[in-house]
Amino acid sequence: MSEFSHGIELQFASVTLGGKPVLEDLTLRLTEARIGVLGRNGSGKTTLLRLMAGLIAPDRGQVRVDGVDPFRNRKATLAALGILFQNPDHQILFPTVEEELAFGLVQQGLTPEEAAGRVAALLVAEGRAHWAKVPVSTLSQGQRHYLCLMTVLLMQPRTILLDEPLAGLDLPTQARLARRFAALPQRLVTITHDPAVLAGADRVLWLEAGRIVADGPPGEVVPAFTAEMDLIGAQDADADLAG
Amino acid sequence: MLTPTSPVESPYSRWPAGVKLALVAGLGMVIGALSHVALLAMALALVWLTFLPVGRAEAARLPLRLRPLWPFILVIGGWHILRGTPDVGLAVILRMLIMVAAATLLLLTTRFDALLATFSTLFRPFERLGLPVERIALALAMAVRFIPVLSQRAADLALAWRARSARNPRHRLLTPLALSALDEAERSAEALRARSASV
Repeated sequence: MSEFSHGIELQFASVTLGGKPVLEDLTLRLTEARIGVLGRNGSGKTTLLRLMAGLIAPDRGQVRVDGVDPFRNRKATLAALGILFQNPDHQILFPTVEEELAFGLVQQGLTPEEAAGRVAALLVAEGRAHWAKVPVSTLSQGQRHYLCLMTVLLMQPRTILLDEPLAGLDLPTQARLARRFAALPQRLVTITHDPAVLAGADRVLWLEAGRIVADGPPGEVVPAFTAEMDLIGAQDADADLAG
Repeated sequence: MLTPTSPVESPYSRWPAGVKLALVAGLGMVIGALSHVALLAMALALVWLTFLPVGRAEAARLPLRLRPLWPFILVIGGWHILRGTPDVGLAVILRMLIMVAAATLLLLTTRFDALLATFSTLFRPFERLGLPVERIALALAMAVRFIPVLSQRAADLALAWRARSARNPRHRLLTPLALSALDEAERSAEALRARSASV
């Protein structure tokens, strides 16, 4: 049981939203460095991410991140886990870059002065000192994604959850971000509908209708997923009416 | 941005935010005591003149910045004309224009974080009475962030309407805009929770 305190653990976790079961009896232990969760739209991927991040509580069952309940113990969770939302505009809370960066640090217990110092140092290290006072509304989509990643990295969590991290970005930005993700020392849990994003994963989970249908190395899970998606796509294309 | 901070470095930019706030508040008291339309019109002209150090372009832009007030002018003016007190109505309208003009000048020459810091200092004594000063400051900062987001959303909705309709959307966008504001609030609550221990 000593490894219980390491990684993300779900035990018979279920989530019901608006009367509909979205996740059902999930039991998982995620300890690998690079984990991918594959699924179609509506498969429950984002709900699973929210559950692991402690943004929602399970209706039944248990969730533990590095041994703590991420929903109840927010303080410990902030050090354990960060989350990068799919849409940076759903993540950015403050009008200027420096305020956005400093917020999480102050929440972790730093004084505003210490936080400001760390923010300034990060911006210098990233070659973006001139961003400090910039209104977030003037940043491009790619720059906002980047700002959100910096915000999460500043808080130095041990695990980062990524929700469709490359969707909607142009190819150079995708390449830059993918490189950045690959170099991170943190455990990454990437949620996506695009198997290509998970090429370098250690473990891939395939989620369908709130249940895990496959769990293994990408070499096994990805081809099965792709084949099934092609099949569904082909069926969908068949729009003949009966009669 | 909601805070229309001017890129021109004016003499006012160096004044402490607290002093400028006190001046605007003082102005409010003075014009509250004045009821003579001619005097109020002079006061409006004077406030307009104080825009000159920020630059002629900004002074010339003032009427444009005051233009969104027209529905209020219409309602207040109409009401007082109906009641047979047009002088009173004119005085109320002039007071409103003076205060909005003065507040615009304050916002143009003051950084928002300076205003927030002044706010926190001013209200610190009330913290002991249970006023959540930090939370209010957080809410104000978030308002500054989300007002441009919502106005962009309104513009996007108007475009989406126009893409499929030849008619003017007018008030018909209010419901979807209100719903998307609620959506936005839910998402920000989530984002706040993702990075904070107390909320």
